Amino acid sequence: MRKYFLVSYLLMLVLQILICNYLQVSPYITLSILPAMVLMLPIRYGTIVAMILAFLSGLSIDFLAEGLTGINSLAIVPVALLRTPILRMVFGSAIFSRREDISIRRHGLIKMATAITLAQSLFLILYIWADTSGTRPFTFCLLRFILSLIPGVLLSLPISNILSSDGRDL
Amino acid sequence: MPGGKYSKLPGIILGAVVFITMEAASLIMISRNGQMQNLRLSGMAHSFMGVVWGSTESIRHYMSLGKENESLALENAEMYRQLLYFYEREAQIEAYKDMGESPVDFSFTPATILKMSRGSQHNYFIINKGNEDGIRPQSGVITRKGVVGIIDAVDKHYSYGISLMNGNLNVSARIGRTGAVGPLAWDGVSKDKAILREIPLQHKITPGDTVMTSGYSSIFPPDIPLGVAGKSKIVNGAVYEIEVLLFENFSSLRYVTVVENNGRDEIINLENLESGEADN
Repeated sequence: MRKYFLVSYLLMLVLQILICNYLQVSPYITLSILPAMVLMLPIRYGTIVAMILAFLSGLSIDFLAEGLTGINSLAIVPVALLRTPILRMVFGSAIFSRREDISIRRHGLIKMATAITLAQSLFLILYIWADTSGTRPFTFCLLRFILSLIPGVLLSLPISNILSSDGRDL
Repeated sequence: MPGGKYSKLPGIILGAVVFITMEAASLIMISRNGQMQNLRLSGMAHSFMGVVWGSTESIRHYMSLGKENESLALENAEMYRQLLYFYEREAQIEAYKDMGESPVDFSFTPATILKMSRGSQHNYFIINKGNEDGIRPQSGVITRKGVVGIIDAVDKHYSYGISLMNGNLNVSARIGRTGAVGPLAWDGVSKDKAILREIPLQHKITPGDTVMTSGYSSIFPPDIPLGVAGKSKIVNGAVYEIEVLLFENFSSLRYVTVVENNGRDEIINLENLESGEADN
């Protein structure tokens, strides 16, 4: 099972690199499945492990995709840091005591969408802030945030299903 | 579990270190690869350093307040001294104007005390003005707070004076509203006290009465304040002897005014003539 998650995770990483390189629809849209990938890391992984994995994932995207080197790693590490509080807030503390990985089937679409939205929002805020560096107006940043959040969440939901233990059982 | 709350502490610290390290690494990468981001981050770094330096400077400034207070106190003293100097000059000008209306003509010369003895019974002082500046022996030396002494000997650029803190010097002084006049001399002990003698008993003396120069001598103009009356006692059942608290502070004296009666020669000649006729 662990092997399956690792393979899936690496494949998603490749997918993200492809999105970054070939799916740049508009300057207003930043498509990213990285927050969902970090959120779906097994519960047994602590915050430090999650941060290191997130950093390495972000770094590999930075190096292999077009764009500013360091921007993905900068935006994803705080998501990994706040992964536990987000999961605790949305799914409750029971999942940690039972060491139960999250999935749409077990916890429902709404909870998963909420958690992904929170993670995606945090990621986008940091990403847009670093990318624009205060040189673009606030309205542009806000529009970019909204237009990136919606497709990002929609795309992340099936990704989370692939990475979940339920997906592994398929 | 006792200490359970603290058992998580190393993990939290490690997590914070990992987080900060990775974020810092990301920021460095961004600043090296994006010119715009580099400018932004440089600006932020400068702002942060400005806050840090500003705070450090504030703390350092707070720590050095003691020294600064000391320095301000010295500066304040110096300014006060200068203020007194100008008051003195102003008083001198006013006195000079008054003298214009007076039958007695006095001239005033500002001077600085170069040396002053205070520890003996026969104290003296030296000023930076001499006969080239128009200073003559038997001129008075005053400040706006009172009499300092009398010029005894004059050189080209310097003059030697006998201080009021010298048992040999008497100044003609008047006390209070009654206008009783008597010789005032140093008490020989204190730095701020003198004795006013020979005040007739019919005059009522109240402690706090102002003592001023009488103007009866040919050396000092009248109404220069000297001090206030203190305790008094009856001597030989005939006269009062009054303790006078002097206004002048002899321990910090520096700027003075030499006052000279321009009609003094005439007065002396008249006195000599009168005494000669009396002898004949």
